[in-house]
Amino acid sequence: MRVAMIGWEYPPFKAGGLATHCYGLTRSLADKGVRVDFYMPKTKHATGSDKPNLNIIEVGETEIFPYDRPDSKELAGQFFEAVYKYNDLVVSRVKGKYDAIHCHDWLTMKAGISIKEKTNTPLIITVHSTEYDRSGWLYPNQWFIDIEREGMEKADRVIAVSHFTKRVIVEKYGINPDKISVIHNAVYPIPENHKKDIVLFLGRLTIQKGAEFFLRAAQKVKDYEPDTQFVVAGIGDMLPRLITQALDLGISDKVIFTGRLTEEEVKHIYGISSVYVMPSVSEPFGITALEAISAGTPTIASKTAGFSEAFNNCLRVDFWDTDEMANKIISLIRYKPLHKTLAQEGKREIELFTWDRVADKTIEVYNGVI
Amino acid sequence: MPSICLYFEVHQPMRLNRFSVFNIGNVNTESTYFNRQLNQEIFKKVARKCYLPTNNLLLELIHKFDGKFRVSFSLTGTFVEYCEQFIPEVIDSFKELFKTGAVDMIEETYYHSLSSLYDELDEFEEQVKMHSKMIKKLFNYKPRVFRNTEAIYDNRIAEKVEEMGYKGIITEGTEKILQWRSSNYLYKPINANLKVLLRNYTLSDDVGFRFSAKLWPGHPLTADKYANWLAKSEGDIINLFMDYETFGEHHWTETGIFDFLKHFPGEALKNKHLDFITVSEAVSRFEPVGEIDVPWAISWADADRDVSTWLGNDMQIACFNELKNIGKTIKEQGKKDLLSTWRRLQTSDHLYYVSTKGMEDGDVHKYFSPYDGPYDGFINYMNILQDFKHKLY
Repeated sequence: MRVAMIGWEYPPFKAGGLATHCYGLTRSLADKGVRVDFYMPKTKHATGSDKPNLNIIEVGETEIFPYDRPDSKELAGQFFEAVYKYNDLVVSRVKGKYDAIHCHDWLTMKAGISIKEKTNTPLIITVHSTEYDRSGWLYPNQWFIDIEREGMEKADRVIAVSHFTKRVIVEKYGINPDKISVIHNAVYPIPENHKKDIVLFLGRLTIQKGAEFFLRAAQKVKDYEPDTQFVVAGIGDMLPRLITQALDLGISDKVIFTGRLTEEEVKHIYGISSVYVMPSVSEPFGITALEAISAGTPTIASKTAGFSEAFNNCLRVDFWDTDEMANKIISLIRYKPLHKTLAQEGKREIELFTWDRVADKTIEVYNGVI
Repeated sequence: MPSICLYFEVHQPMRLNRFSVFNIGNVNTESTYFNRQLNQEIFKKVARKCYLPTNNLLLELIHKFDGKFRVSFSLTGTFVEYCEQFIPEVIDSFKELFKTGAVDMIEETYYHSLSSLYDELDEFEEQVKMHSKMIKKLFNYKPRVFRNTEAIYDNRIAEKVEEMGYKGIITEGTEKILQWRSSNYLYKPINANLKVLLRNYTLSDDVGFRFSAKLWPGHPLTADKYANWLAKSEGDIINLFMDYETFGEHHWTETGIFDFLKHFPGEALKNKHLDFITVSEAVSRFEPVGEIDVPWAISWADADRDVSTWLGNDMQIACFNELKNIGKTIKEQGKKDLLSTWRRLQTSDHLYYVSTKGMEDGDVHKYFSPYDGPYDGFINYMNILQDFKHKLY
């Protein structure tokens, strides 16, 4: 089986769970004998593959950052133009006979549709997040929604990373549920390290990820557990506001903003943290939760996160309920048996979340349309 | 000719309020621990779906078969308190059933607690006496047979129960203690002069668990099919023990569970060699055929049939130890006013909700739990125990 997969990020370049997913999926597919050509923009970082079945093909340079939210008309115009250009470039570069084309999220959907129509090859689209998620359900941008809808409609099969996302695809985009398969994400386990009194937030600092709720909970924890340190790891357009918020809440001495971390630093911080919090406003899946748990770090996740529908050994909160979030953080710090049981049982459950399983289920989807 | 011994456990726990770490040390009365509204809601719902209609049906059946259809009950103290507070008619209907003479009452701890697993058995004994007093008051009766919380049983408990004057005790007919032997006979504890009634878990769970399971080969279970299985059984006695909520609650009316119960006595009594007996009659009529030796506690809970349901992980053990220590302090300091709250917190359900057992047991735990999983159950219960500790000093 030969698959042309069109993505936009691949480790070491990585802005979100999509890169992690593409990396794990393509490698496991290659191990199972599927020949994968992975098309992506040229990046400054060297990337490549050590597997004969897997080719990483860089199609050309682009200035597009997929999580950018153009906020002026002029910028938007440039942004959209860059997107169209990039898609045209992809179409011209994808050559040869494939059994299936597989796209991830909106950015390359247009290219996927053109190639499907030109070569009469089945198209599969994986939805890692929708415009509704990325906007935190506030002012979603119609331009993205239209591209997403067209892609979903024209695809032969849509893969959603959770039932939560499947529901969004059905309800907001009007797609036939029978066309949508749910495949939960997976993780390459991260080693556990000597634990410190650290409560961690790690993710893009955008409205979607809810770091502001993390800070509000931190303030509530501070008086009860004064030795606890809070770490906000990541970058994003909310960073200046979050720093101001920490000052206003009087917790700037308790919160560290790390900025962008290298992959090694990310692993280290997961390993030494005692609690991971994922307070996303809207979270199709949330691979970071799997990463934290694999490193023996008990996790408090947003109730609506796709991850928490699939995972038992975690704590769940409403992202806006910072009292309950603080209650759970303090409980994890105070009650050692709770921390120990969650860490142990979580690591055991993590073993079920392998890329091998994701690849098997993805092959099932391919077989259904070829 | 086996006799059918039908026995129902009737229990409702006192579910707890949401209690966060921020509440610790900040509430005045312990009554805020218990979620009166939720408990009332659930009790009323279950009374309507199960207790009242099943009691009516049983009464009808006892009259119809002229006392040949006989059953036994154990009512926990917390259940009876709910009856008195919310729907006194429920307790009246149990009294009416008892008056027929075809109904027996079983003893247990008032709070459906794990006090039989404490280092000393004084608290256990006190809770059994409270239950005994309650049964005496309601039915003017002294039970002869004892059933510990979820049939938890070991040699030490058997010895204590004999010492307290009971003639029989109920536990699980598990292979762990029987090996090749049949549960359809009475046995004697290796260290006590007592008759042990063993639950026939296959035939009991056919009704209790599997009745509405469409994938089970026995589905649909009809009264005549089931009576046939019983008629083919060997031994002195077939002990069918289950939650009373089996009828109308665990299996809804729509599953046909009430039709099943309605026709079951008639179908069973069509077989001349079958009859119904109460637990007291069982210990009078039959003699033990062998001994059982149970150094480690067994129970009828979950697939493990031991106490891991309540004490299977570190969180449960931490709560259990905290609870025991609180009790020690209360008794040392003679704080009688805190005793009843402490006892309400001992109801085994609070620890049951903290179980992390996976797979099919986990589904059962989820069904019963008022929490979003065992971890929330732990946090809430532990927070309350921490607050309660504040009241001791």
